[in-house]
Amino acid sequence: MIQRSLLAALILTIVALLRASPASAEPYLAVLEGYKCNVCHVNPTGGGLRNDFGLTYAKVLLPAETVDNTLDSWSGKLTDRLRIGGDLRADWSRETTPNSPSAQSFALEQFRVYADLTILPDRLGIYVDEQVAPNGSQNEEAYVRYGSTTDGFYLKGGQFYLPFGWRLQDQTAFVRQVTGINMTTPDKGVEIGYEHSAWSAEFDLTNGAANASTGSGYQVVTQVVYTKPIWRVGIAGSSTQSNAGDRHMGGLFAGLKTGPIAWLAEGDIVQDDSLERTMAAGLLEADWRLLKGHNLKLTAEYEDPDRAVRNNQETRYSLVYEYTPLPFLQVRAGYRHNFGIPQNNQEHGQLTFFELHGYF
Amino acid sequence: MNSRSFTAFLRGGVALSAALLAACAGNGEGLDANGNPLVPGGSAPPPLSADFESIQENIFTPICSVCHAGATAPEGLRLDAADSYNLLVGVPSTEVPSLDRVKPGDPTDSYIIQKLQGHAAVGAQMPDGCPTTQPCLSASTIAFIQQWITNGAPPAAAAAAAVNAAFAVTSIVPDSMEPVNAAPPQVMVAFNHDLDVSQLATHSAHFEKLAPAAVPTVIEQVPARISVSSANLRALMLWPVRPLSSGHYRLVMDATSSAQISDIAGQQVALGAPDERGETVISTFDVEVQP
Repeated sequence: MIQRSLLAALILTIVALLRASPASAEPYLAVLEGYKCNVCHVNPTGGGLRNDFGLTYAKVLLPAETVDNTLDSWSGKLTDRLRIGGDLRADWSRETTPNSPSAQSFALEQFRVYADLTILPDRLGIYVDEQVAPNGSQNEEAYVRYGSTTDGFYLKGGQFYLPFGWRLQDQTAFVRQVTGINMTTPDKGVEIGYEHSAWSAEFDLTNGAANASTGSGYQVVTQVVYTKPIWRVGIAGSSTQSNAGDRHMGGLFAGLKTGPIAWLAEGDIVQDDSLERTMAAGLLEADWRLLKGHNLKLTAEYEDPDRAVRNNQETRYSLVYEYTPLPFLQVRAGYRHNFGIPQNNQEHGQLTFFELHGYF
Repeated sequence: MNSRSFTAFLRGGVALSAALLAACAGNGEGLDANGNPLVPGGSAPPPLSADFESIQENIFTPICSVCHAGATAPEGLRLDAADSYNLLVGVPSTEVPSLDRVKPGDPTDSYIIQKLQGHAAVGAQMPDGCPTTQPCLSASTIAFIQQWITNGAPPAAAAAAAVNAAFAVTSIVPDSMEPVNAAPPQVMVAFNHDLDVSQLATHSAHFEKLAPAAVPTVIEQVPARISVSSANLRALMLWPVRPLSSGHYRLVMDATSSAQISDIAGQQVALGAPDERGETVISTFDVEVQP
């Protein structure tokens, strides 16, 4: 048992010494289990720091095997009021583009640390998501939260990720790139949220990324999700007013559980006045939990960079195997192939990657 | 897994496959390499590859020079086709001066890569924090720039071919009374031939701040440091030894300095034009530092 514990600690240490990706969020788990985001995460819109149940899930239900009490007892709580957590992702990847030399490297994608301070239980708290590596510290989220994130209204104020569609772990997914809302693009403002029974809803008023340096406008984002044990559906909308050009977006997303398989789908449409174009993006994802601790992910994505132009669409297909042998450690291996217009080699790139993901 | 699960996955896979077939990639007919409709009679930029001309046409010009152009270019870095190479290769970045913007052969220590990948020590990830209107460059796109740097960051083929033309100044930045909205880190004088750096010691210059009057009156002199990067022998850099405050400036060769500069073949060209007092003026510009 001691040897096993040492091995687990050693692996985590190796991971920490290597390199890491954006804050973790795997909505397929929520679809498989029929959970809302706030069941596992402190942040009611998902991602980042896990709560008591989220940690229990990570320790007991997710991995292929559990380990001894040392790891099993990690609660993230430094005190009754202060909880911390983190995600570290290190990978090796190889990118191949036609008629170009391939590029391969080890990379520390990201190491993030989260902290949540409860000032008044179930009412007032402060949440921080800080990227500490690579290359210096950078704040991603820092907000004060008032109200209930489990049943009733709450208010956030500060810097946070906007709620729009599936909060995917892959920030490069077309639906996250085209909308520009992902876990690398926090915004400053306020959010009013509502959680009750099967309903989750958010209304955000923020600066808008396009106005970050000019202070010329604002962004309004709203999202409503209805969650049932084996299915859910959500609708999201966003409008940005900016001197650079207004931007309006709409999205529909849904999840369905069929046996051990979670299905995720999202479709977004974006009208951007600054680019003078309307764009569209779609995602289909299937996650098959083969065995406890084993997941096979298949995604198909679609992007139309300009609806007014014919023959310019791009697609992307990914096959990813995720193995969670122990609590707080995941190994991922994947292959991705892009397809686009023949005259652009970049749109035919292939990616192979292996990733170690340590989290706590 | 059991047969029921397998059947469910198979059914889903069939549905997914059907959706995929319905959502094929475009065939590119009637489009250029960037996916834009071809303009009759127009010429499309070359597909992105690891050479400077392609990077300029596919990345710097359409994406970066939206902001990095003209007198208001951030950090004085102009990424238009005329100036980008000379202001990138072998030029220290203004945010982290210990790092060159492009260090030939070393993409890891090239500041442009750090800025594009979002792990530079200072400032936002480029392009401009990756707003919704301009997402970050993909890793595969950045890889082309990395490969160009690894290859030694050679100039565009057209620039290399200019060696057969007469030795000449091709651009001066800033110049022609341009109003720049921040103190320029340097004045860059670009040439079409490699310079003879062994003669640099014979040149000296200074910045003159002028009072607004019918006859220009010098109210402050700021010495200039002259350098040519070994990574780019076609760009002469003149650095003020201290930041320039707001005002009207000109860059003047010292009276004791040679007004001519030589290329490696011995051809000479004047660095500037003589003014009414016989001094050689290289550049004039206005600094309008924002409060």
